[in-house]
Amino acid sequence: MSKKGKIRGGLAGKILRVDLSTGRIWTENSEPYAARTLGGRGTNSLILMNEIEPGTKWDHPANLLCFGVGSLVGTAAPGACRTDISTINVFSGGKGSANVGGSWGAELKYAGFDHIVIRGKAERPVYLYIHDDRVEIRDASWLWGKTIYETEDLLRQEFGDERIEIAAIGPAGENRVRGSAILIDTAKAAGGSGVGCVMGDKRLKAVVVRGHGKIEVFDPPGFMEAVAKAGRQCEANRVKVQSMRQSGAARFEDPDFEGWETCMVIRNGQDDYWEREKRAQLMNAEAGIPSMRRKVRACFSCPTGCMPFMEKARGKYREMKGEGFWINALWSVSRFDISDPETAVTFWLLANELGLDTDYVAAGLAWVFECYERGFIDQKDTGGLQLTWGNGEALIGLMRKLAYREGIGGLLADGMVEATKKIGQGSEYYLIHVKGQPSIEPFRIPKGWGLGVSTSPVAGRHLRGAIRGPGHSGPGGTDYNVIHYHNQAKAVVWQAKTKELEDNLGICNYVGTWSGAHFLTPANYAEWVRTALGLPVREEDLMEHYAVIGRNLEKAFNTRHTNFTREDDLPPLRFRREEVPKGPYQGFKADEDQYNAMLDEFYQLWGWDKKTGMQTREGLEKIGLQDVAEMLAGKCLNEDHLPIR
Amino acid sequence: MGRIKHNAARCYGCKICQLVCSLHHTGSFWPERSSIQVSRNPRTGVVKWSIDKTCDLCGREGEPFCLRYCSYEALKNVADENQEENEGE
Repeated sequence: MSKKGKIRGGLAGKILRVDLSTGRIWTENSEPYAARTLGGRGTNSLILMNEIEPGTKWDHPANLLCFGVGSLVGTAAPGACRTDISTINVFSGGKGSANVGGSWGAELKYAGFDHIVIRGKAERPVYLYIHDDRVEIRDASWLWGKTIYETEDLLRQEFGDERIEIAAIGPAGENRVRGSAILIDTAKAAGGSGVGCVMGDKRLKAVVVRGHGKIEVFDPPGFMEAVAKAGRQCEANRVKVQSMRQSGAARFEDPDFEGWETCMVIRNGQDDYWEREKRAQLMNAEAGIPSMRRKVRACFSCPTGCMPFMEKARGKYREMKGEGFWINALWSVSRFDISDPETAVTFWLLANELGLDTDYVAAGLAWVFECYERGFIDQKDTGGLQLTWGNGEALIGLMRKLAYREGIGGLLADGMVEATKKIGQGSEYYLIHVKGQPSIEPFRIPKGWGLGVSTSPVAGRHLRGAIRGPGHSGPGGTDYNVIHYHNQAKAVVWQAKTKELEDNLGICNYVGTWSGAHFLTPANYAEWVRTALGLPVREEDLMEHYAVIGRNLEKAFNTRHTNFTREDDLPPLRFRREEVPKGPYQGFKADEDQYNAMLDEFYQLWGWDKKTGMQTREGLEKIGLQDVAEMLAGKCLNEDHLPIR
Repeated sequence: MGRIKHNAARCYGCKICQLVCSLHHTGSFWPERSSIQVSRNPRTGVVKWSIDKTCDLCGREGEPFCLRYCSYEALKNVADENQEENEGE
């Protein structure tokens, strides 16, 4: 295979560049980037690596906000709808990235662009309007302060075109709340890394897109044959697919589903076991979450639609409705020991409305609840809210304070790690975070999950290799088990590689190789890359070359911009020290020696220095990243086999 | 009017029908040049689906692409039946 093959299909062809400080708009060719990285997240990572100078902070005008649509998006590849949004991570200062579905990415490609790269800061609030090759920076003062739902309504009214696609921030992003999301179509959240906070810092309220163009693939008959083959795999996997079509969270309607036992974190990590009756109350068919599900919708070109439209009558909280409700909602409320279904649905829709990242809210505010329980803060600090476990109204009230920076919300909005410094009293031990980003993830029971999250280059989150059992994710087979350490590193690296490919090509990993419908393999991706992109690749080229490039670019960005060490790749301290107090996994913890043994293997599998976890010049040159090795050389103690640092 | 009937209750709004229809007509993925137009309003969850008279049931291609690639069984060929209004919910 030529490592420098030219891409001959799938791409829209251009990168749109916008400088909000000067108002300058220009384009460049996207193909040379995609030929190296496969596009999508890979290209975003390459642009950040090339263009961000060391020492640049997330709120500096030189920070870039990069929207990167996957190379297969806009085609009929199943689940090809995803867009990566990369920037400097507001929590870690290293690589930031969040990934999102919907139809926005496809529309951008039909408008002629694979990427939008935004630099600078607008003086006043603006939004970007892209109508094919007409690109305008428009005044957004009339939208500033509006919620996500209001913004969507106002823009749809303004354009009167049902086909426009909108990516927007809510009040949280405007107020530079660190854990802010960018919402596509009001419901699909690019949540991690604080991407909404960066967009708000640039005073960019929304990106509105309408495209009338086309995407061509290299070999249409061959490509459609490969798509039809994936369709047959989908059919053969009907049980899982049908479950997804009920909703992504449908599996949890069974209170005995193993996910309840192996991947929940309760009361900010005081436990990993949640009583069966609470699960049953939350998911009760007549009065629980499923009773508020009106229909289910799919993202663009997705055969396993998993996005419920929720509708909640007036109860404890006002009437609400909207698209989207994912498993993270169950993780989130159980973290506060809340089993009230109305609170769960309100929590989710309110987070969307305000433009908050649900994981940040859950992990961050559960820590605040624990601070209250331990007496580090009291009702005077919380403006009267009683932050006791199970108190849904307090959680909903605190979310509003956070988004609008009211009272204690102002303190929390600047990031929870910052807040620990102000609250003090040893509270930092109880903040569950990975590389600075609050984390909702389990580490004590599912070992591959914990390893994937703790080693993630984008400061935690479970979409850089986290796995549970072979029936859920990873390469399958029988040689790894969710609760054991053995062979987890190998499976996590496999999952991380397939996720690299999925983010570059724009395939949803719920359709792909992870969880959910889980019916594609890297062999499918190789067929699509050959027939759509026209690159003559084999599966191993994807897994051992392109996927490795993607991961190394993110890792290198961190090496260049942060001071992370091996210690930062270990689970949060609380889970290494405290055992699960009850339930079937009583006594489990994240054993430091065992995790370190997994890390050794993990680093070796990526070709990194086993002791430090740092990249080597040799490893980078092997995959054609000589230029990246040069960029890191300033941090390098020695050449060749020594780690670059 | 085409002779493809849309079942709004089954449709998830994924737009694959629109996409493969455009492939039949143009050889590329070009939603604007499709006989089928789909839009979805995320505020209401309503999917609007329509088909125009350029539909030729994919001519000699065998089963129409939109039927073949719809995973939700939301479309059927009613060539011999009276066509009803193909509107969304």
